[in-house]
Amino acid sequence: MVEGIIIQGLIKGGTYALLAVGFSLIFGVARMINLSHTCFYMLAAYGIYAFAKMLGMPLIAAAVLSLLATTIIGILTYRLFIDRVREHHVTVMLITLALAMVFQEWMIISFTSEPLGAPSFISGYWEIIGVKVSYQHLLTFGVALAVLICVWALLSKTRLGVAIRATAQDSEIANLMGINVRRILLVTMGMAAVLAAVAGIVVAPTLTLEPRMWTSPLVMIMAIVVLGGLGSVKGSFIGAFIIGFVEVLVVFLMPGGAFLKGAFALLVMVIILLVRPEGLFGIAFEEERL
Amino acid sequence: MLEVNGVTVRYDTATVLDDASLRVEKGELVGLVGPNGAGKSTLLRAIVGLIRWEREVLRGTRQADITFEGDVIFEGERIDELSASDIARRGLVLCPERGRPFVEMTVRDNLLAGAYLCKDRKEVEKNLDRVHELFPRLKEREKQISGTLSGGERQMLCIGRALMRQPKMLLVDEPSSGLAPRLKEDLFKRVEEIYHELGVTILLAEQDVSFAFDLSVRNYVMSRGHIIAHGTAQELLGDETIRKTYLGL
Repeated sequence: MVEGIIIQGLIKGGTYALLAVGFSLIFGVARMINLSHTCFYMLAAYGIYAFAKMLGMPLIAAAVLSLLATTIIGILTYRLFIDRVREHHVTVMLITLALAMVFQEWMIISFTSEPLGAPSFISGYWEIIGVKVSYQHLLTFGVALAVLICVWALLSKTRLGVAIRATAQDSEIANLMGINVRRILLVTMGMAAVLAAVAGIVVAPTLTLEPRMWTSPLVMIMAIVVLGGLGSVKGSFIGAFIIGFVEVLVVFLMPGGAFLKGAFALLVMVIILLVRPEGLFGIAFEEERL
Repeated sequence: MLEVNGVTVRYDTATVLDDASLRVEKGELVGLVGPNGAGKSTLLRAIVGLIRWEREVLRGTRQADITFEGDVIFEGERIDELSASDIARRGLVLCPERGRPFVEMTVRDNLLAGAYLCKDRKEVEKNLDRVHELFPRLKEREKQISGTLSGGERQMLCIGRALMRQPKMLLVDEPSSGLAPRLKEDLFKRVEEIYHELGVTILLAEQDVSFAFDLSVRNYVMSRGHIIAHGTAQELLGDETIRKTYLGL
């Protein structure tokens, strides 16, 4: 059972990490709470279904197209609806919530409310220390890990990464370094959309697609981001695995009460925040942020 | 090199900068002195485009009622319509008050942020060496998170970060703010070195008149948003009204 918990926890945590890191990046750089973030995950998942199952395209091509389309939608959403109100945080929340509803209705009109299934990238399973793990789940974890390593490398080893981090900490001063803050915000939004889309694409075959599939992960990633420390990418990464493991533990230990997994995960978040209100990796120099 | 003509900045109905004009020639170190609240920082912010940025950030709120009038010319080009990042790209760089490092980034990453516009890695390393030579403490603290630096080290980092940009002109805002006398002295020596050895044109806003007068070629005196006098240290000190009323000497 322990092996099962570890493996499933890693897979769940990896998917949450993809979503939470993107959400955290947007919050860190633009101080925006984008409530439509998990819709990009939903759009990419439906994209795979539409391109592969409805149009009969090869899965890899469907994945690439879905990723591209979702990223473009993410960037357009930012440019058309969020950019001009980005300093008004409540307005951003309301607009992104409205957009999420629009995306949801768009999926209902296009695909109905019926649950759908996307085709697997790879079938079969592998037995790891006595636990049968499907190749699809392994692929999900592998891709999540690879993408997150790329994000880490980009943020810590490149000029763009330095610019993103500088903008996240003090956008006014970032301007003085010649950093085009508006462009950095756009790039970050694009990156977040890519991360959400990758999560949607690799997870789609393991889930039932339905137009409200964006809501539950949204609540969980908000919990993860708060737990990890608002705006901390490292915190979101670690928080994602904590919440992922808690959910899996509940399912394994109380099979009859699996529906309580979300509630337990949120309870863990509340307990950690009571002990450490700023989150696990919250800002240490809050007074310096302007 | 830099010409500021009749710049006025109003926040709602409060005029914080009133018809301010100044000139800095290439290769000069010019002082901008005056007490707290005289408008020195606002003038420097106006020059580098941060008033426009502030207005954009606050758009849609009551605080966005900011008026900017006048013009700023840098190397023959009007820059008051440009964004702050475009102005920085032209080589006019501000070291803000209190240093304002990126507090969660290491000292090294702060310096690299300063070199954002330079794509040549060798050039960046060369600049880094030059900054480390000037401020050996920054080399020692390379991997330290800059939020944990002392006030003096933050100022060094801020000046080092600005130098990484290889500026044509540096605007330094109150580098001595909150520093102990010995640290102040040390920091001003570094500013002098930057001026003499690197040949960077400098506009130095400073409350500590004696330091500013020691370093600068000419000085502007500010009070309550106005530039009320300018001249060499000797000329200004020779005017009793200015010396007593505005310089407190």
